[in-house]
Amino acid sequence: MARRRYHDGLALHQALPGQFLPFLVAAMSFLAALALAGGIAAHGLSQRWTHGAGAVTTVQVPGPDDPAAGSGTRIAAVQDIVAHAPGVATAHRLSDAELRALLAPWIEQTGDSSLPLPAVIEVHTVPGQDPMPPLLPRLEAVAPGVLVEHDSVWSDRLAALAASLQACALLAVLIVMTVAVCVVMAATRAGLQTRRQAIALIHSLGAMDSYIAGRFASRVGLLALVGGLGGSIAALPMLLAMSHLAAPFSAMTDAQAVAPMDWRNPRAWADIVPHALLWMLLALPPAAGITGWVTTQLTVRAWLRRLP
Amino acid sequence: MFRLHDVSYAYGGNRAGVAALSHISLDVAQGEFRWLLGPSGAGKSSLLSILSLEVQASAGMVEILGVPVMQARRSNLARLRRRIGTVWQDFRLLPDLSVFDNVALPLRLQHRAEDEIAHEVHAIMKWVGLENRLDARPLQLSGGEQQRVAIARAVIYRPALLLADEPTNALDERQAGRLMAMFHRLAELGTTIVVATHNDAIVEKYPAPAIELAHGHLVRDYR
Repeated sequence: MARRRYHDGLALHQALPGQFLPFLVAAMSFLAALALAGGIAAHGLSQRWTHGAGAVTTVQVPGPDDPAAGSGTRIAAVQDIVAHAPGVATAHRLSDAELRALLAPWIEQTGDSSLPLPAVIEVHTVPGQDPMPPLLPRLEAVAPGVLVEHDSVWSDRLAALAASLQACALLAVLIVMTVAVCVVMAATRAGLQTRRQAIALIHSLGAMDSYIAGRFASRVGLLALVGGLGGSIAALPMLLAMSHLAAPFSAMTDAQAVAPMDWRNPRAWADIVPHALLWMLLALPPAAGITGWVTTQLTVRAWLRRLP
Repeated sequence: MFRLHDVSYAYGGNRAGVAALSHISLDVAQGEFRWLLGPSGAGKSSLLSILSLEVQASAGMVEILGVPVMQARRSNLARLRRRIGTVWQDFRLLPDLSVFDNVALPLRLQHRAEDEIAHEVHAIMKWVGLENRLDARPLQLSGGEQQRVAIARAVIYRPALLLADEPTNALDERQAGRLMAMFHRLAELGTTIVVATHNDAIVEKYPAPAIELAHGHLVRDYR
């Protein structure tokens, strides 16, 4: 006896055509990938500004070579206090050359190179700590007129901006997910309408709700998975390019920032794209598939409640 | 086998709807064959729809094969439907499936093995005389052939309760005779059978107890 193909009358390839839904899910996944990439990038920059190069304090000491209130010069006394304070990672006194390079735009404008310049100490603090305020009375005591400038005002503002960008990205992802769920619901309902006679018949022959919902959900889950895969693949080149452009802002060293990109080497791609973003790209297709599967299960079961 | 107590049914809801059945009480035992008689609009199809679990009664108590229908869970109703065979007046064959797949459908929903399904389908289709039309689509068949396919689908899983709405309408006398003989054989084997018809000739030719409806009321319950 020849084996026959299994047919249960639902004809899901007619009810849920394979072109429409994957395309829409791919578009949604693409948008979700961009939004998530924006959120991850904002988080990375926020970390960098808060804990990296942004966590720099400058200490200006006027009359550095004058005697301090105690012994030695003012700059030596200040440097000694700062360097041994807890929470300070490094304290580097800028050399004359570094200082003149820093001030070159202003000095060249005035044309006066004989201006008395303060000594400048660049202090890198341990991430998450702010040791300078408690030191101020001691610094003031040994070197009156010392000026401490902390970049936290700007890094705080930038961190707040990054947080709002992350919130916007999350909101965008939620909106995209909501639209995707609505699209899946609409497609499923259209499919149910198309096959309503067949569904009513197999229901009357004793098919369980779980069977009918499962058949629809498997089909939609697969189509959504394919769509999610397409969206992730489509987003990859754009995310690579964006990551490459963003590298100088998030690099921890100048060498990383200016390193040339070898586009033919996939390992180099993995180096420039944040790992969180790579995991997110890998997670998008199964997330789309699961979202489609769950949405379809709920939609079909609700629809079947019309039948006795 | 099935019991109805004070059952009413209205199209479009109990209050504003049109009454199709009013205060029907019946008790039909296992293995009984009953004619369901009455003119058009008497409520025969509504009664069959309630018994086939296609609609819910608006009021009263319905018990089929020991299951109280009004209180049963959806999953239990689905299992109960697998024990009820129905031959609808409009056949309800799926046009995009072959004759084979239409008849195999109830067995596939019971997850039977494909080899077993093929064996059962060939046997029943040989009995209804359509063993050479297995690959045809329903729309390629005559009305009588479609009716025979619908009958084959209803009896292939040997239901405990068999309901048929005008099953001889499109059959010639010889086919109708064969069908009635099969119904009586199934009743002897324990299947409860209710056949709705307004064909007086066939009722006279195959006498059996009858339920008679008029304007949605039970007017006679012959035994």
